[in-house]
Amino acid sequence: MEDQPYSKERFLNAEKEMSELVKASMAGHESKPNVMFAKLSEVSKALSKGLVDWSRVRSLWPLQFGLSCCAMELMDFGSARIDAERRGYLFFRATPRQADVMVVAGWVTKSMVPEIKRLYEQMLKPKYVIAYGECATCGGPWWESYNIIKGIDQVLPVDVYVVGCPPKPENLYAGFMKLQKKIGGEIED
Amino acid sequence: MVTRINIGPVHPSTHGVLRLVADVDGDTVVNLEPHIGFLHRGVEKLVETRMYMQNPPYMEKLDYIAPMSYDDAYVATVEKAMGVEVKERAMWVRTVLLELQRIASHLLWLGTMANDVGQFFTVFMWAFTDRDMVMRLLEEASGARMFYVNMRIGGLIRDLPPGFGEKAGEVLAYIEKRIKKYENFLEKDPLFTERMKGIGVLSRERAIELGVTGPVLRGSGVGYDVRKNNAYYVYDKLNFRPQTRSDGDCFARYKVRMLEMAESIRLVREALAKMPEGDALGMPIKLILPSAKNRMVSLSRETPRGECLMYMVADSQKPYRLSIRAPTFINLAAMPEISRGCRTADIFAISGSLDLVMGDVDR
Repeated sequence: MEDQPYSKERFLNAEKEMSELVKASMAGHESKPNVMFAKLSEVSKALSKGLVDWSRVRSLWPLQFGLSCCAMELMDFGSARIDAERRGYLFFRATPRQADVMVVAGWVTKSMVPEIKRLYEQMLKPKYVIAYGECATCGGPWWESYNIIKGIDQVLPVDVYVVGCPPKPENLYAGFMKLQKKIGGEIED
Repeated sequence: MVTRINIGPVHPSTHGVLRLVADVDGDTVVNLEPHIGFLHRGVEKLVETRMYMQNPPYMEKLDYIAPMSYDDAYVATVEKAMGVEVKERAMWVRTVLLELQRIASHLLWLGTMANDVGQFFTVFMWAFTDRDMVMRLLEEASGARMFYVNMRIGGLIRDLPPGFGEKAGEVLAYIEKRIKKYENFLEKDPLFTERMKGIGVLSRERAIELGVTGPVLRGSGVGYDVRKNNAYYVYDKLNFRPQTRSDGDCFARYKVRMLEMAESIRLVREALAKMPEGDALGMPIKLILPSAKNRMVSLSRETPRGECLMYMVADSQKPYRLSIRAPTFINLAAMPEISRGCRTADIFAISGSLDLVMGDVDR
């Protein structure tokens, strides 16, 4: 597992590498249609950089994954009162392969760590983690317990912390808004 | 040929992180083994290191769908150890709050259960909106949305707010109508009834032998309810009778919970009407000293999921030992037996109908 799931530098480096590869492959053929294509790709690249971020911000699909108490509030977040879909926090996905955001809602036991790691690794990049509640943030009331790890950030890179015991669903909503700002580049990593 | 499949611990249909290892022959379940412990955090050990009134928050996190029932069970145990009488009005207020909590808990169960058997998110959305109205009432009475911690020795942290009765009356009238709507909607739907009727049958004799309690036991035709058989607070002064169904299948358990919600609404109304005036405030949390006479106490309460029994050995400032009989742990033990012979898809109907809370099972 890498330290950072998604960083802009890595993304840009990958793009540079790709464009170099494309140039190298086009070195022998300097015909007109190819030039046209290269120009078109530059234009679309410039457009899509903004477009990809814009669309990514507006369709975050959380993973349907609850551990304990906070999962009840996570369910409430998904219910009709909050109506999270109006800002693009779409339907909870049952499989990690279709999800963008993992909301860790509850205390993390030592026996649960490998399962959470595996779920995280199954998610496709770019992926984000929200630590929801005291237990996922720092261990919370179970700080002294022998079977609890002191916060999910010891295992996974966390993007947003939402604190409270449990935080109201409105707080999670605010957390998602913060994540949107982070993806959109308004808040630095 | 028998194939072994693994379900969970993270599975959208198991309520909480429960791992089920099922041996299936084709689509028929031959054997099922629940593996638990994914939420174990050693509550019983942790409370030994804390003073008496620091513990209610830990107790509430055992059963996070109905926190107040455990809060009440623990505080009542401490009261018993101290030999303190609960104030008259506080008993009535506690009864009202506990029954409201039962309604909220059963509504959450209804939403998730309907989700499991194919009513995809329709009933879930309705039930959660209704549950939120009950939770707002409890928030008004206690000051917190989910973990209330409003029980104090001999009473409560605060009395009911002014105008609580009228608001509760409005909400209950609404929920009474909604329960009828749910029943109409679900029981006329073959999708729901065919996956519930005749699935996961637990006979009366086996239910008693396995020691299951709560709606699971009453769904098997045994009219045992701690509120009736070992009445606490003011349940003996109220017109109350346990709801039973004799079929013992998933549908019977569903029906018992629906009837219990209607019964709770009646209980709250009656208690609010009969409630005497007076003082309901409890002791400040620092004045706790159990008497030497009651060193070992045990006490049982009817939580929404069944009978919770607390056994406490009291010490001067902290509990020396606290042992909890978690209702869902015992109910889960019935699961391998009742799911033997069913289809693979029915495992989720059965686990849903048992109303498992893994925080309570693992402790």
